Amino acid sequence: MNLRSTERQWGAVAKFFHWLMALVILGNGIFGLCMDLASSPMQKIGWFALHKSIGLTVLALFLLRLMWRLADRRPRDEPGPRWQHLAAHAVHGVLYVLILAMPLSGWWFNSLRGFPLQYFKQFNLPAIAEKNEELARTVLALHEYLFYILLLVLVAHVGAALKHHIFDNDNVLRRMLPFGKLRGTPSQGDS
Amino acid sequence: MTSIARSLLPLLFAASLPGVAGAADYAVQPASSKLGFSSNFQGQSFDGSFGKWTATITYDPAKLNTSKFDVEVDLASVKTGDNDRDSALPGSDFFNVAKFPKAHFVTTGFHQNGNQVVADGNLTLRGVTKPVSLNVTFKPQGNGATLDVSGTVKRLDFGVGGGEYADTSVIGPDVKVNAHLTLTAK
Repeated sequence: MNLRSTERQWGAVAKFFHWLMALVILGNGIFGLCMDLASSPMQKIGWFALHKSIGLTVLALFLLRLMWRLADRRPRDEPGPRWQHLAAHAVHGVLYVLILAMPLSGWWFNSLRGFPLQYFKQFNLPAIAEKNEELARTVLALHEYLFYILLLVLVAHVGAALKHHIFDNDNVLRRMLPFGKLRGTPSQGDS
Repeated sequence: MTSIARSLLPLLFAASLPGVAGAADYAVQPASSKLGFSSNFQGQSFDGSFGKWTATITYDPAKLNTSKFDVEVDLASVKTGDNDRDSALPGSDFFNVAKFPKAHFVTTGFHQNGNQVVADGNLTLRGVTKPVSLNVTFKPQGNGATLDVSGTVKRLDFGVGGGEYADTSVIGPDVKVNAHLTLTAK
């Protein structure tokens, strides 16, 4: 498998970022919504610290992914109607914005609330806003709604990928699958 | 009766001394005095202070053996700039003010450590009494003085934040006490 993307297929690095971030973002989002289930204040403190550390990891992965994407080539669009290309690219753009907005809104809320921000108990990051508990409530709501919006956009993203894979039987999903082999080409240098 | 009188006599004699040759008594000016502390939560330090406390200060740097601090702190008056923390600290997991409303520090003696005067005393907090030593900086000013006192209290020695709160990787083990008192001569 190539590290870099090719004309027809995403490379190992792009796939790694895509699937790892998909897993971590979904996991941390669902975890975040469950944090009120903590059985004690100290457990809640621990869970929040973990959620924040994972969120910062997403932010770091996003920045690395963005840099890689700027250096890497893009596989050209699979054959299809122009509106589908536009819709796919728009959805990708919105997902990128949401992936960035999730951790940033969390960091913003954390700062407004005056909480420390410690990365896996290793080092602390500064606040990005002055303490403001009034605004903190609004931003917490924003942080949660952004995740729901992310889930909605994901329905379009995943739905379209599955539609192409199952009904159109084309390479749209295959070129991003970890060990996917493209149809119609014996071996495009993958795996 | 006579044996009691005999043992009391030196005490009575000593009690009559401070007025003559002992250290001076001071009154604390609450408005310009502060009893503060700082500790650490998730790698970030925070400052707190107590709004209500009283201190009886008898001090003379040249007469340390007759000097004495006696401080009583109303623990429910704690403020740290965070509502969650301020409502948690008086609770049973931390100060437990329902059972132990006050902390008490009283000196047992003073000693000199180089140029630094150190007040040795007993701190009673949350029903536990343990020795605590504090650095003393005394500066005469007009007919009064300023008194700065600092030292470290290990919170777990007194069971402050025990149980699951004992995790010092989340809540720091040391509480740095810093007090600034403005004194006027009595």
